Amino acid sequence: MSMVRFEQVSKRYGAAGRDALNGVSFELDRGELAFLTGHSGAGKSTLLKLMMMMERPTRGQLFVDDQNLNKLRASQVPYHRRKVGVVFQNHQLLFDRSVYDNVALPLQIAGYSPVDCARRVRAALDSVGLLQLERRNPIELSGGEQQRVGIARAVVNKPPLLLADEPTGNLDPELSAEIMDLFVRFQQVGVTVLIATHDIALIERMGKRRLILDHGRMMGDTHVSA
Amino acid sequence: MSAPEHRSGAEYTQRKVVRNDTPPPTRKPSSGASAQNLGFTARLIAWLGHHQLVAVETLLKLLAKPAASLLTWLVIAIALTLPGGLWMAVSNLEQLSGSVQQSGRMSVYLKPELSVTAATTLKQRIDQLPGVAKTSLVDADAALAQFRENTGLADVLDMLDGNPLPAVILVEPPLDLSRDALLALQQKLADLAGVESVELDLAWLERLNSLLALAQRIVLILGILLALAILLVVGNTIRLAIAARVDEIRVVKLVGGTNAYVRRPFLYTGLWYGMVGGVLSWILLIICWAVLHGPVAELASLYGSGFELQPLSASAALTLLLVGMGLGWFGAWWSVSRHLDEIEP
Ligand SMILES: Nc1ncnc2c1ncn2[C@@H]1O[C@H](COP(=O)(O)OP(=O)(O)O)[C@@H](O)[C@H]1O
Ligand SMILES: [Mg+2]
Repeated sequence: MSMVRFEQVSKRYGAAGRDALNGVSFELDRGELAFLTGHSGAGKSTLLKLMMMMERPTRGQLFVDDQNLNKLRASQVPYHRRKVGVVFQNHQLLFDRSVYDNVALPLQIAGYSPVDCARRVRAALDSVGLLQLERRNPIELSGGEQQRVGIARAVVNKPPLLLADEPTGNLDPELSAEIMDLFVRFQQVGVTVLIATHDIALIERMGKRRLILDHGRMMGDTHVSA
Repeated sequence: MSAPEHRSGAEYTQRKVVRNDTPPPTRKPSSGASAQNLGFTARLIAWLGHHQLVAVETLLKLLAKPAASLLTWLVIAIALTLPGGLWMAVSNLEQLSGSVQQSGRMSVYLKPELSVTAATTLKQRIDQLPGVAKTSLVDADAALAQFRENTGLADVLDMLDGNPLPAVILVEPPLDLSRDALLALQQKLADLAGVESVELDLAWLERLNSLLALAQRIVLILGILLALAILLVVGNTIRLAIAARVDEIRVVKLVGGTNAYVRRPFLYTGLWYGMVGGVLSWILLIICWAVLHGPVAELASLYGSGFELQPLSASAALTLLLVGMGLGWFGAWWSVSRHLDEIEP
């Protein structure tokens, strides 16, 4: 079964206005990595937000991990979100606590014991190469390092699905390539990854599947069925 | 791969499917259950642990920066002290009225022209009546002497010619006589020849009791109003605390924090506000008692009473504390339910 499935999904903000997404359908297999591209305002963020249940679709159905999200009650949304890691361009770190505590947050919420928590946080920080910075405050870190803290937090409780919205938006090409390599490494251990980006040059080099949005419609998909 | 025993079947299967389509892991091998698959006991322990953690953390946070919450504490303390103090006063008066209530003593004032012999005969007649335990005759001269002694108005009395005071027969009914029986006895005594009037102490007692009932009503209304004030103050304090942590709340919800999880620290904060306010109010009431109880005893002794102001009882102090904590919690809950659910990532 696929990890993500959209069936004719439309999203309109407010009663009036244009559809931010219009009849979008696609599937992502488990363990697949794909890029989501399109001009600014094409609906990339909206598509990711629907998967996080930060927004609800106006029409159509979407499934994540075989769960129809339209059928989830509000009280189940937190448990759904624990299965999906997200990384944002503005990494959304908390500057009132250390790198360690930022990464530990999802585990504390899910109720891991401190010992378990420490082990997993170290593993996550190690996987993004920031183990030596765990005691620092994220505000002291560079943009690339902050982005990697955000990634560590997104993967720390091993979600089967990882979403990223313009994760390299503020970074120079070299750092961007490093961040993309990280995502590929997570794919290699079985995580399904979907990355929204407009950095065409970078992703063309990587030779991965591309989903192309244009004014809310799915205009292209380089998916090659096996 | 190593699968710990406590992993549930569902997750195991899911991982296996993943591994079937993808290369074997190079790093980060999965170990242990994922969050949604923690067992019930583990989740219960985590839940209790989080309660404990949040309770301690929020309390320490408040106590670490007392200046920031002092205003809220004091408002709660004063809002609790006012009705608490009045309640203390009313229950003291109630006690006083209770001890007086026992006696339905009557003063039977005799007609001035009645002779001492006639008065003595009348006293003997009254002694025979049912519902009379004890009588004593205070003749006019004795009454005058008593009055002179008790009031120090000797000069005024000397200016009068003759004795303005009538003779009195003091009638003590048995302690357990009902109110209706007392009233009947009063009527019977008033009908006797030679009796001018009969005064039953019940009248002022009834006045006192209805005053007390009124006072209790007033304390209740005041209490409700001040409870609302506490809700508003705690609610507003919590609203500000929520506003200061909007970013954190968004992130917590984004990574799967439930509403209950997000709410918890604010509810505990409200609870602690109420508790500290309750303790402060209790201290204020002790101070009030210490200041008042000397003068009250003095005043009572002037009236020949051994009445003493009782301090707040332990159960009343506990009630004060619990009411404070309940209001603090409820104020926080009210604020949180209005502001927290609106904050979405
Ligand atoms: N919260 C919102 N309210 C109203 N309109 C929105 C909102 N978010 C996005 N939109 C609109 O939806 C369209 C798609 O936006 P978005 O998904 O952010 O595109 P992208 O991420 O590809 O730049 C845009 O026209 C945008 O103005
Ligand atoms: Mg966007």
